[in-house]
Amino acid sequence: MHKRLFVTFGLVLVTVSGTLAKKEPGVPTPLSKQKQLALVRVNVTGQSYDYFRPWQKKAPFSKRALGAVLSKGRVLVTADLVANQNYVELERAESGEKTAAKVQVIDYEANLALLEPMDKTFLDEITPLEITPDTVVGDRLAAWQLEPTGALLATEGLVTTVQMTPYPIDVGEFLTYRISLPMQYRENSYTVPLVKNNKLAGLLLRYDSRSQLLDAIPAPIITHFLKEAESQNYRGFPSIGFSFFPTRDPELRQFAGEIGKGGGVYVTNVEPNTPAMKAGLKVGDIVIAVANNEIDQNGNYVDPLYGKIEFTNLLTAHAYSGDVIPFRIERNGNPMQLNVTLEHRDAKDYVSPPYNFDQPPRYYVLGGLIFQELSRQYLKEWGAAWQREAPQRLVYLDHFQSELFPEGNRRVVILSQVLPANSTIGYDELSYLTVTKANGKEIKSLGDLAEAVKQPIEGGFIKIETEEDPKQIDLDAAQVAAEAPVLQENYGISALHRLD
Amino acid sequence: MKRSLSFVSAILLFGAISYGQQSNPATSPPAQPEAPVAVPSRSVSPAQAVVPVPVPIAPPKPNGPVQKSLVRITATSVEPDYKAPWNAGALQRGVGAGFVISGNRILTNAHVVANSRYLIVERESDPNKYPATVQFIANDCDLALITVSAPDFFKNMVPLQFGGIPALESTVSAYGYPIGGERMSVTAGIVSRIDFQLYTHSSIDQHLAVQISAQINPGNSGGPVMQNGKVMGVAFQGYSGDVAQGVAYMIPTPVINRFLKDVSNGHYDKYVDLALSYSKLQNPAQRKFLGLKDDDRGVLVNTVVEAGPSATVLRPGDVLLTIDGHSIASDGNVELEGERADFQEVVERKFKGDSVKLDIWRDKQPMTVKIEFLKTAWPYLIQGHSYDVRPRYVLYGGLLFQPLNLDLMEAYRPTDLRLRHFFEYFILEQLYLQHPDVIVLANILPDPINTYLAPYRGGIVDEINGKKIRTLDDLARTFAETPERFVIRMIGDGPPLVLDRNKVETARERIKTRYNVLKEQNLEEKPESKSPEQADNI
Repeated sequence: MHKRLFVTFGLVLVTVSGTLAKKEPGVPTPLSKQKQLALVRVNVTGQSYDYFRPWQKKAPFSKRALGAVLSKGRVLVTADLVANQNYVELERAESGEKTAAKVQVIDYEANLALLEPMDKTFLDEITPLEITPDTVVGDRLAAWQLEPTGALLATEGLVTTVQMTPYPIDVGEFLTYRISLPMQYRENSYTVPLVKNNKLAGLLLRYDSRSQLLDAIPAPIITHFLKEAESQNYRGFPSIGFSFFPTRDPELRQFAGEIGKGGGVYVTNVEPNTPAMKAGLKVGDIVIAVANNEIDQNGNYVDPLYGKIEFTNLLTAHAYSGDVIPFRIERNGNPMQLNVTLEHRDAKDYVSPPYNFDQPPRYYVLGGLIFQELSRQYLKEWGAAWQREAPQRLVYLDHFQSELFPEGNRRVVILSQVLPANSTIGYDELSYLTVTKANGKEIKSLGDLAEAVKQPIEGGFIKIETEEDPKQIDLDAAQVAAEAPVLQENYGISALHRLD
Repeated sequence: MKRSLSFVSAILLFGAISYGQQSNPATSPPAQPEAPVAVPSRSVSPAQAVVPVPVPIAPPKPNGPVQKSLVRITATSVEPDYKAPWNAGALQRGVGAGFVISGNRILTNAHVVANSRYLIVERESDPNKYPATVQFIANDCDLALITVSAPDFFKNMVPLQFGGIPALESTVSAYGYPIGGERMSVTAGIVSRIDFQLYTHSSIDQHLAVQISAQINPGNSGGPVMQNGKVMGVAFQGYSGDVAQGVAYMIPTPVINRFLKDVSNGHYDKYVDLALSYSKLQNPAQRKFLGLKDDDRGVLVNTVVEAGPSATVLRPGDVLLTIDGHSIASDGNVELEGERADFQEVVERKFKGDSVKLDIWRDKQPMTVKIEFLKTAWPYLIQGHSYDVRPRYVLYGGLLFQPLNLDLMEAYRPTDLRLRHFFEYFILEQLYLQHPDVIVLANILPDPINTYLAPYRGGIVDEINGKKIRTLDDLARTFAETPERFVIRMIGDGPPLVLDRNKVETARERIKTRYNVLKEQNLEEKPESKSPEQADNI
């Protein structure tokens, strides 16, 4: 949704109206006082995987962006910038001096990544940015960009809202600053630091040039990321695994046994194998307090900095995987306490993984039939409006995955397309079918499929069964094997399958 | 033939995208072809009817009696309002054509007279306007018979005779009142194609249709398409000018004759249907696997709809080899009177009470089976448009519950994935078995008792107070009971919707008055005042 609202910053072109003459805390002190600006240019060349031709990568893309120089020779950028990268380069703003860099840690969900220059002395004279975690509504932050000369371009804006919003990957919601700020177009403005009193307050997440509203990844999320990045084994933000509903409706409160005017949210769904389920949370429970913070009927607690904000902030910005968080609940009117041990939920733990970067997609070619595993990354190949444009059946399976596959721990194998070949005559217009069985064996992953088709059934056939019509597809195993080299040659398929 | 049943073949024809296109799905999504639009005259109001360029119509040619057969039909109709179903709906007026056939009957399109409340018929060179009534209406094949009770009306009229299927490239003439004109208009064109087409009036039925290159415009609907003094078809639909030009469709005589025969017993029974989906059997390996000979015969049964006539006879995996003695080719065609046609055309020509004989291949053994068409009521109907019905609904506590159907989907245009899934897969996933009515909380009329209930909008009712709700009647009965409260569970996650019955009772009059609700529920689609012939027999 937000992708539609917020265009990539590269498209923004705005004229500056007001002057910045009036000194505000957000505007940095003159450059002369600072030895070197804590900004570097980041040049990225990358290639995304082509989910429609999963054996190959798409044409390379280039992005130019900024990075914020932090302590210990690290450069902070958004994960978006370096996802699917082939080569990352840092460039000094003033001198134009360059060095290769590598991605040290990346968190796609929080949209943050740390880069590290190959040349360890590259950032030596730069005074790193400190991080200021205390931005509140009403503060003024400056967006730092670079002029082509390497000089600083600072534009100031007002923090209008601090709230929980979905990040581009759309796995849960995270704390976000919304800032009213007239950004100016500069070539390298992909990742833009937001600064208060010469300290890093946030990082550009998205910008809408029409409303001139900017969303920023806030310092508390950055701090969380950096703290975890210090440990050897980066785990990611915790995910709790239940959905909730406000209890504003007095009839619903009464039904749930909660007669008073208190707060709390109604638990509508508890996903299997998640911290919530392991802790014993049940559908119909009312969650009254999280980490000793009372929550209201809409699910907000009172944060000392921001005031009312959704309680999920307590489980993301303020908590780490492995933490034990007390949940005060009411079940049928009886108060109870549950201790929830937080865990991160990996993309691979979903039936239809929500994202996949820097890893090639799995596929299996059999005759001209192309089998893949359903994932949101695949659906996103249909573009920003994928929920409307992609095959509705697959969007439905992805959207309701925890309801349709409550046991989890599997993939949905789809016959995504058919390349015309001798072995697939008559099948060439099939697409987007979900595979239930192959050679009589149940299929819950591409690995299952690969295993099942190894042994042809009696008569030398391979039988694929699908949930949708035509229900069954039969192939001649010998013909499939004999035709494979021609198929690879004709369609430029480098390898017939990738199962790692 | 119902569209859902030929879902696979539709997908085969249009749904799949070629390899080249697939590289850029964002710009070229797998597009369904633009469906032809019915050519209703409804859009033409007198104000819109541009005054035609004053080219005088030539005196009638002596070669055709069409002027003595053609009538101009003005229909005043009421379109139900699915968002305020207690209201009568919007009044509309449209002009179409019709023609006299034997037995003092006038044949026209169903879409000319559907939902009509008042019909006027006029004829050339007669200043009188004659009130008319609908005798039979067949929304599935877009045909209707109307009649005029004025004693002398048919006296000077010449009934038209029907011909067969015109040859490709032969010339035909279309008669009617395009864009609402008052005098007859004639356009000519050639027969371009003879094929199965979606009939957009119901939007789920596919029958034989003939594509002609004559100009057909709103107001031509229901008019005869003639060749050598005989009716070859009834003009009925085409594309809007920005999609395709010179493409118009007529209902050919096999479809017309079937309709006339169906109603000859005094009521219209609708089409019968095998109610199954199939796929072509063109893959050599698949043929070998199934133990079939290499003779290009047979199609593979995919899904058999449980509510249909084939349910107890056929099963997925069966191969259909012949139908009433006609050999079925591996692409699904049979040879009928020297023409290749979809094998379901054999079924198209059947009537309620008829049966069909199939030679099939099951588990590598030949078998002969008989399928009897005893009923014609299908769960498909929700996927098509309804006409001459009053929307069914239950309003309770300001919550408007309505059964899911195409008209509802078009009124609200929901984006909810579950609702869309229930609509699209109602037949293929046999959802109708559990949900003969899919009851949607379609709208909420705001009131203090439902002020927190907005998030439930769009939900599908599963059970109330622990009891499964399968039909709208179930729902109405349940709300007539007197428990302390109703706990309504929707399908999927989400909390129950809880209603305190006493509070609802006290709010009833208030909500009725505030929103001018004339009636809190309607459980019957058919208004009782209509004669049984007119009600199309569900």
